[in-house]
Amino acid sequence: MTVVIGFEGSANKIGIGIIKDGEVLSNPRRTYITPPGQGFMPSDTARHHRAVILTVLKEALEQAGLKPADIDCVAYTKGPGIGAPLVSVAPVARTVAQLWGKPLLGVNHCIGHIEMGRLITQGNNPTVLYVSGRNTQGGLVIAYSERRYRIFGETIDIAVGNCLDRFARVIKISNDPSPGYNIEQMAKKGTQYVELPYTVKGMDVSFSGILSHIEEASHKMLNSGQCAAEDLCFSLQETVFSMLVEITERAMAHCGSQEVLIVGGVGCNMRLQEMMGVMCKERGAKLFATDERFCIDNGAMIAQAGWEMFRAGQVTELEDSWITQRYRTDEVEVTWRD
Amino acid sequence: PYFLLSPSTPQLSVYVPFPSPREAAIALRSLSPDREPRKGGISKHLALTGSTLSVRWRADEARILRVSVTSFLDHLALVMETMEMFGPPVAL
Repeated sequence: MTVVIGFEGSANKIGIGIIKDGEVLSNPRRTYITPPGQGFMPSDTARHHRAVILTVLKEALEQAGLKPADIDCVAYTKGPGIGAPLVSVAPVARTVAQLWGKPLLGVNHCIGHIEMGRLITQGNNPTVLYVSGRNTQGGLVIAYSERRYRIFGETIDIAVGNCLDRFARVIKISNDPSPGYNIEQMAKKGTQYVELPYTVKGMDVSFSGILSHIEEASHKMLNSGQCAAEDLCFSLQETVFSMLVEITERAMAHCGSQEVLIVGGVGCNMRLQEMMGVMCKERGAKLFATDERFCIDNGAMIAQAGWEMFRAGQVTELEDSWITQRYRTDEVEVTWRD
Repeated sequence: PYFLLSPSTPQLSVYVPFPSPREAAIALRSLSPDREPRKGGISKHLALTGSTLSVRWRADEARILRVSVTSFLDHLALVMETMEMFGPPVAL
């Protein structure tokens, strides 16, 4: 029996979760939400996390019905992510690991998403689409091969979630519960398709050009009444999601894969799941996705990746436990799989 | 904690007493791994003397010093709160 606690706070969500041999015992989380039109700034986000983290930690233990002595390992997000919040969460993980006399494990955030997706959906060896707001990593097609999560395609500039979030700021919609969720709701009411650039470059995608285009187009078209904000939300989703489905399909063809797993915050989006589902059906492939408890950043996913790593014999020494804003998924040796 | 501020070049030393050497060491090992976000113009050195954690900064400019010190004190406060809530450390 192995019980792992995981700390996640690399963007605007702070979550702490406990996993016991594949069972999620607790997974409390808080989100730092900014007013419409504003993104979250690093130092404010870090301040938010510092203010609530110990409360969330107590909740995680209480909801799991566990004492610190019951924990076998303390896992935390080493990276990638935003420096200030990362650096506010890691010291708490290090402190409790030492107080409780437990080993520490630094986890790659993206691998946390993948391992949680694998646990929940029990897919055999899916092609993974990791879609989130996190830059450098927010539009990644990954396939496992020989002890690495290999990156088959990625965004060459901004993350898809970042593109959506920044458009949400332009049209000043609420960030509660998340800008992406509100774009999705508005998109459902769109009636007009507005043509936007479609930028797939081989195995990779680019979103910054689409963002500049739609920022400019929205000012013109909304002012002149040519279309509604709902139409722009709809058109943006259709465009960026088609691009992601395309590069996922390309990776599947390359790997001969018959399964797709979508992870990351944008993976909550039902339209993306629907479009990916259509492509999968055409290929006779299966689609796996998780719900908002696990798509959105959470502590249990870090605990799950930590569980795998710990059982494979990995440990992070305190001196090596520094956080890093940049941490590619393919840098990690996946010792827990063949 | 008490502070020593040098009037000439931007330097600061902070001394933080803990209930035991072990607890001071826990704080040091929780706070020392992460690098300063700023690459140049600041150096920070943590050390232990008995139950006291000492931190010494040297910086090129006072404002750079201030940013690093403020950030460190925020994290120190959080570590101390954590130790208060979840301590004392288990028997080794």
